[in-house]
Amino acid sequence: MGLRAYVARRILQLIVTFWAFFTLLFVLFRMMPGDPTSMFIMDGMTPEQREQRIAELGLDQPLYVQYVEYARQLLTGDFGQSFIYRDPVIDIIVVRFMNTIVLMGTALVIAYLIGITFGAIMGWWRDSRFERGGIVVTLIARSSPEFWVGIVLLSVFAFWLGWFPSSGMRTTGGELGGGFVARYGSADFLRHLFLPALTGAIVYLATPTLLMRSTMLDVLNADFIEIKKAEGLPERTVLYKHAARNSILPIVTVMAIATGAAMGGSVVIETVFNWPGMGREMVNAVNNNDYPLAMAAFFLMGSVVIIMNFIADLTYVYLDPRVEYE
Amino acid sequence: MTLLDITELKTYYRADDGWVRATDDVSLSIDRGETVGLVGESGSGKTTLAKSIIRLLPDNAEVVDGSIDFDGTEVTELSNRELRKQIRWSEISMIPQNAMNGFDPVYTVGEQIVEVITYHEDTSKAEARERARTLFDDLGVDPDRVDDYPHQFSGGMAQRAMIALALALSPSLVLADEPTTALDVVIQDRILETIKELQEELNSAMIMITHDMSVVSETCDRIAVVYGGRIVEIADAETIIMNPRHPYTLGLRNAFPDISDDDQELISIPGTPPDLVDPDDGCRFAPRCPFAEEECWEVTPEPESYGDGHAVECHRADEIEHLQEEAGKKETWVEQDLGRSEEIEPSPPEEVELDD
Repeated sequence: MGLRAYVARRILQLIVTFWAFFTLLFVLFRMMPGDPTSMFIMDGMTPEQREQRIAELGLDQPLYVQYVEYARQLLTGDFGQSFIYRDPVIDIIVVRFMNTIVLMGTALVIAYLIGITFGAIMGWWRDSRFERGGIVVTLIARSSPEFWVGIVLLSVFAFWLGWFPSSGMRTTGGELGGGFVARYGSADFLRHLFLPALTGAIVYLATPTLLMRSTMLDVLNADFIEIKKAEGLPERTVLYKHAARNSILPIVTVMAIATGAAMGGSVVIETVFNWPGMGREMVNAVNNNDYPLAMAAFFLMGSVVIIMNFIADLTYVYLDPRVEYE
Repeated sequence: MTLLDITELKTYYRADDGWVRATDDVSLSIDRGETVGLVGESGSGKTTLAKSIIRLLPDNAEVVDGSIDFDGTEVTELSNRELRKQIRWSEISMIPQNAMNGFDPVYTVGEQIVEVITYHEDTSKAEARERARTLFDDLGVDPDRVDDYPHQFSGGMAQRAMIALALALSPSLVLADEPTTALDVVIQDRILETIKELQEELNSAMIMITHDMSVVSETCDRIAVVYGGRIVEIADAETIIMNPRHPYTLGLRNAFPDISDDDQELISIPGTPPDLVDPDDGCRFAPRCPFAEEECWEVTPEPESYGDGHAVECHRADEIEHLQEEAGKKETWVEQDLGRSEEIEPSPPEEVELDD
């Protein structure tokens, strides 16, 4: 089977996965206790008003009608109106989602760049002081709770040294640029980004580092590494072009999963740094029974996981010629 | 003309309980274009000897003593950089046992051949690629297959590709570590033939490491029999096959079928290879040797010359007729009480003080 057929099949799988995911999401939300009106009962909503509100939201319709309606809306990119904000969900969520992508994307890129390099060198210099120290540092980073790392960084860099702001995404009263670059590229934003991104990077660092190290140890035992050394190639070529290049394969899979999960936003980091991202919005939406908003949030997050896995599979084909298109 | 001259080489491995003397006091010289076979059991030190030459030893191994003179260069004294630039692959290359694992799986075979050519020579990628294709053609592989990945090759094809890689820089010496062990006999034969042809064409010398007597007898000019980290017998191939003097060589010969002899009974050598951690004096083969005498247990035999470059490390090599006759009989090798004839009174166990 050729590459093209393989990709076509993976796309088909992607669509089926999306459908299953979306259906599951729908069922899950209909099974949740409470409905969006329960929040208002205390405010003296009469039963008639309540009925009217439910009808307004289309929640009195039979489930299959709701299902078809929801599918139709999703296909047209319409996530409905937030019950609470009374604004289109898409407007609320896109902004939050971008905030999270910028924060978590930065954290992940830093974590994986450092982790892969660090892990590769640790494996290469097996049994050295560097390796032993590296493992200790990595394990400390891994075992530290996110909120603790965040608080430590905050107290050192924000409160004590005063180098970075302590919360939010931009200085209050600052000009909010219109375009993406103006919004996320400004010096003020980057200063706000630094600490939360660093916190995320520290938290995410351990997985690629330790995985890379252990895969390196396996790969370094392979016969071809000995041949490459016998060929007289410089150590750096053997290390990066051959050993690390082969060790990176399992990282791709892990990275896809980590990215997907991170896009849901880290509630803890967002809370500590008061970052207006997906994680917090999602928790609020669930607490308020804001179906459309919560569903859209889950849908986006799940979609990222599915798409990242799809990308990982395709990357794998590119990285490892041994992957059979079956 | 001597290409490689190894003198009294000692390569030891550090182990928890002392030094493992994997190569102990080995001297060997090889002429240009010559093929020398290193025959011996697994763990006899033949691979360690070969890897010492290209200094590809694991971290816990060390060349403790001796010299390796390669074409006037003392290999043991080169810096890593000099070694990489002057010796590795450009002068000495190797063919591993399992070629499939000898290639990096994520690059095409052609890319890997081009990589080594362009690193060592001032050659363009296109020229290097052309050379890879020519080599493939010489080795009986479709030149278009340089663009294939290693896993797309069959075992025999991969081995040919590996030979192409090994010969890409026309080295003066090729270290072939059991190059055909992983292959079936028919392919094995054809590959050995191909190696031989190309080697003659390039006038490369070769060290052929194997435990298979039939392989060395076909391909090698000279054969060195390795046992317990030492070369116990060395001579031209015909002498080793037809007229060996060391009991171990006699035993090895028994263990391999001779196609011209219908009723030949295969006889194996009882016992296991010796423990090479700080061995005692005496012949290392003595515990398994049916002809061991008192002297064999006490004194390490020195190489004795029997003319025409035939050297043997055995106290009883002079009694060759008797040994050869006896060695052909199965009874001789039956695992009898091969220990010392006069058993030394076992010393009483030392009293061990136990900590409370």
